[in-house]
Amino acid sequence: MLRYTIGRLVSAIPVLLVVSLVAFAIIALVPGDMASEMAGPSATAEELQRLRVQLGLDVRGLTVRFGPWAVVEDVSFAVAPGEVLAIVGESGCGKSMTALALTRLVPEPGRISGAVLFEGRDLLTLGEREMRQVRGDRIAMIFQEPMTSLNPVFTVGHQIAEALTWHAAMSAAAARAEAARLLSLVEIPNAAERLSAYPHEFSGGMRQRVMIAMALACRPALLIADEPTTALDATVQAQIIDLLRRLRAELGMAVILITHDLGVVSDFADRVAVMYAARVVETAPAEALFAAPRHPYTEGLLASLPRLDTTAERLASIPGQVPPPFALPPGCRFAPRCAHAKAPCEAGLPPLLPAGDARAAACIRLTDYAVAS
Amino acid sequence: MTSILSVRGLTKHFRGRAGLFREPPPPVRAVDGIDLDVPEGGTLGLVGESGCGKSTTGRLVLRLIEADHGSILFAGEDVRAADAARLRALRRRMQIVFQDPFGSLDPRMTVREILEEPFLIHRIGDAAERGRRVRRLLDAVGLAAHHAARHPHQFSGGQRQRIGLARALALDPALIVADEPVSALDVSVQAQVLNLMKDLQRERRLSMLFISHNLAVVRHMADEVAVMYLGVVVEQAPRETLFAAPLHPYTRALLSAVPDPGGEKRARVVLRGEIPSPSAPPSGCRFRTRCPLAEPRCAETVPALRAVAPGHRVACHLA
Ligand SMILES: Nc1ncnc2c1ncn2[C@@H]1O[C@H](COP(=O)(O)OP(=O)(O)O)[C@@H](O)[C@H]1O
Ligand SMILES: Nc1ncnc2c1ncn2[C@@H]1O[C@H](COP(=O)(O)OP(=O)(O)O)[C@@H](O)[C@H]1O
Ligand code: SF4
Ligand code: SF4
Ligand SMILES: [Mg+2]
Ligand SMILES: [Mg+2]
Repeated sequence: MLRYTIGRLVSAIPVLLVVSLVAFAIIALVPGDMASEMAGPSATAEELQRLRVQLGLDVRGLTVRFGPWAVVEDVSFAVAPGEVLAIVGESGCGKSMTALALTRLVPEPGRISGAVLFEGRDLLTLGEREMRQVRGDRIAMIFQEPMTSLNPVFTVGHQIAEALTWHAAMSAAAARAEAARLLSLVEIPNAAERLSAYPHEFSGGMRQRVMIAMALACRPALLIADEPTTALDATVQAQIIDLLRRLRAELGMAVILITHDLGVVSDFADRVAVMYAARVVETAPAEALFAAPRHPYTEGLLASLPRLDTTAERLASIPGQVPPPFALPPGCRFAPRCAHAKAPCEAGLPPLLPAGDARAAACIRLTDYAVAS
Repeated sequence: MTSILSVRGLTKHFRGRAGLFREPPPPVRAVDGIDLDVPEGGTLGLVGESGCGKSTTGRLVLRLIEADHGSILFAGEDVRAADAARLRALRRRMQIVFQDPFGSLDPRMTVREILEEPFLIHRIGDAAERGRRVRRLLDAVGLAAHHAARHPHQFSGGQRQRIGLARALALDPALIVADEPVSALDVSVQAQVLNLMKDLQRERRLSMLFISHNLAVVRHMADEVAVMYLGVVVEQAPRETLFAAPLHPYTRALLSAVPDPGGEKRARVVLRGEIPSPSAPPSGCRFRTRCPLAEPRCAETVPALRAVAPGHRVACHLA
């Protein structure tokens, strides 16, 4: 039997060689341009672009290390065109680093690995020039504090127009008109007049609108918004989320919303990825996640939120705190705080296991504590 | 219910300085004639968006800043009339907890020194007695005895807030003013601190003025709730009434703006515009520039805060 198997294998070597060569050729091509590979040589530029857009974002095994410590570890998720994915978790779990890694803006000496397949290309292998183009034309980012991205010495109109002429090679007059259009698109009153105002002349909510207008200048396919409403008051936050919802519907852009606020998530997201200590521990459609969380951390987070519709004498709190990247517990990183932890939980990192319709959770309780192989 | 703290017509306008060739800017009307009652052994929640005057109110009550007008009665005593000696005695019984309890403390002090300080100031006990009290305080807020030797920066946010609470409790106060005590904490730690505050309140029969911009947190903590907008109280009611049947258009908008994960989706009232400057509040009703129900008379007459049901007061012409 063994001899027979070996014989078959030996005779199959030439075939295997050819197959693996072809596979290698495809793999080598894929990160470069998956779309042109899929479309074939006869595809027109238009068809190719449409295919590219359909591929959306597919992140695989994304890892960010500072020296020996991973602050983002083996993170995978996909975002379809027009979809809103929320990345949630408590502070320090790696949300912002994930966002920065997607556009390769992680500060030195951080190192990124894995794959960020966006519209058919792996952004992690692009040249710096091409990457700048992607950042300007296809992916835009907004942050919690817009003042860090706005230049205080130039008018808002000047800054939006500059973004436009840089990306779209527009004339100065056309850029100014487009800048006014963008400001009214984000519902800034008297947009044309406000073009000549400086950033400090705007309130926090209005500055965030200006940031969104600048981000939209290039008509991005993907908007990454890192805590965009965290510094804003409740009524202004509601206005900004409504604005993002409207823009997403009108412009068809995908959004990655990074937030620690589960309320904002339930209000806006289609899908959710919950992060804990650098890893994704649960991913699910938003409604399903809130209705029935599958990971004990998600469950604990939801239970510890004070509610507006019911009164509880005590909140179900999670004991302890999030471990820093340099003091991670062995096995499941949530184990020291988990009410369901058992000995096998410390044996190894639980992988993301299927946990129902389009959802997964990194918890071996799902398999009755069968240790991951 | 008797009130441990009663505030009437409390007013504070911050005046800017005139420049050499410049008129003084119009004063910031941070707190503009408010009435509040903190129930004895209970909690009054003070909620509103940033800049509406919550922190100023908290500081006025403790006389950390001086009011322009109004009265503050604490356990029957006129706080504004107290002389230096009486004020020191009053401050033993009224304490404040901030969002970042160490913002104003010397980072070189150990936790023991921080917790011992109130006893030293008030000349309480000898060294051994003070040591016992520090250990008891640490225990009350869920910290271990060995934490006493550490410095504030060696603690996480949640632990720091526990130390802030321990310090506030040192002199066995009757009233705690808590100004956004959990706003800097993550939700899992926030829940720990809120539970601790409730436990301490029950064990020590504390009264609390609980200040927060977070409606859900206020709902969890408060027996009575007052909603502020631009320096005035627009609505005050028992907790259940305020959240189940809010009457002021601002309270309704504020409630509808907060998404409640897992809760029912409520119809949203999106307010137009932003909060006007407290240096130039709108005439008549201060909310009228954003109110979906505003009428001509709202620009002319200031709506009084009047009772619409026992314990439920609203400042709106239509309520
Ligand atoms: N420049 C840096 N160098 C090293 N570590 C960093 C740096 N910036 C952030 N970190 C660490 O990376 C981890 C993740 O941070 P971050 O992504 O900002 O978290 P989040 O956005 O979820 O609050 C944290 O432990 C943080 O301390
Ligand atoms: N020391 C001060 N000098 C001048 N203006 C102040 C001072 N303290 C607070 N203010 C102003 O008073 C208003 C109310 O502030 P505050 O009581 O801190 O509001 P809240 O705590 O509700 O956010 C704000 O407009 C604020 O800018
Ligand atoms: S793997 Fe074990 S410790 Fe980790 S979340 Fe699941 S039950 Fe808890
Ligand atoms: S008084 Fe007029 S403006 Fe003010 S809240 Fe009532 S309806 Fe609105
Ligand atoms: Mg962050
Ligand atoms: Mg404040």
